[in-house]
Amino acid sequence: MPIDDLFGTTVQLLGKNLDLRARSHNQISANIANAETPGYTPSVLSFEKELRDAVGKRGKTIGTPALTHPGHIRLTGQAAGIDAVRGRVVEMPDATSGLDGNGVELENEMGRMMENQIMYNATLQFIGKKFEGLKAAMKGDR
Amino acid sequence: MDFFSAMDISSSALTAERTRMNLISSNLANANATRTAEGGPYKRKDSVFAAVPLPESFRSVLSRMEQAPRKVEVNQIVEDQNPPRLQYDPTHPDANPQGYVALPNVNVIEEMADMISASRAYEANVTAVQAAKNMALKTLELGR
Repeated sequence: MPIDDLFGTTVQLLGKNLDLRARSHNQISANIANAETPGYTPSVLSFEKELRDAVGKRGKTIGTPALTHPGHIRLTGQAAGIDAVRGRVVEMPDATSGLDGNGVELENEMGRMMENQIMYNATLQFIGKKFEGLKAAMKGDR
Repeated sequence: MDFFSAMDISSSALTAERTRMNLISSNLANANATRTAEGGPYKRKDSVFAAVPLPESFRSVLSRMEQAPRKVEVNQIVEDQNPPRLQYDPTHPDANPQGYVALPNVNVIEEMADMISASRAYEANVTAVQAAKNMALKTLELGR
C-alpha cells in the first residue's frame, strides 16, 4: 500500500478546509476592521462549492492519462483538484451602504466569524480523530 | 495559512479605533475651551478611516491574483469647519462687543454616541483577535 493512501483524501481534504477557513477568517477580520471605513464593501471567501466539486470529481479519475514516455508530466486527472482549490474573494455588501458608502453590518460579520470558527474547530477535531485512529491501529493494543 | 495577518488586520483596527477614541476624548474635554494656541475656540476633530492593503511579499502577490484582505488606518484628522456655538454671556472675558462668547462646535451628545460606536467597534476587533488566537492555539494542540 503506498504511503499516500494511509492518510488518503481525508487528511488532504480536512487540511485544505483548515487552510481555507483560516483565510476566510482573515477576510472576515478585514471586514470587521473596516466596519467604519467610508466606501468599504465587505468581501467573503467563497470556497464551499469549489471544494465540494473537487471532492466529487476525485472518484472519477479514470480519465488519467497514462505515462508512456519518461518526459511526460503526471496529470492526475482531478485527483490534485483538492489541492488546487483556492476559493474566490467575492464582494458581498451586508447592507445597503449608507451615506458613507460602507456596506459592513457588524452583526452579520460577527455571526460569520463565529460560524467560521466553529467549522474550523470541527474540522480540527475530525483531523485529530483521524490521527488518533491511525495511532491506535499502529499500537494495536487495547 | 496565516493567523498573523488576521491579527495584523485586527490590531490595525484597534489602533485606529483607539485614535478615534482619543479624538472623542479630546473633543469632550475641550467642549468649553474658548482659547487655543491657534486663537479662537477649540474646533471639533474627527478622524478619516481608509482601507489599506497589507504589506505583502512580491511572491505572495504573484501567487494570489485576487483581492487580498485589507487593514485599516487613520488616514487624516480633520477639523470640523462648522461655525462655533454663540452663547450670550457678557461677563465672560472672551465675549465679543455684543456680549456673545464663541464656544467650540462640539456637540456633547453626538460625541457620546460616537464614543459608544467606537468602543463597540473596538470590542468587535478584540473578539476577532481572540478568535484567531484560539484557532491558532487549537491547531497547535493537534496530535497531542
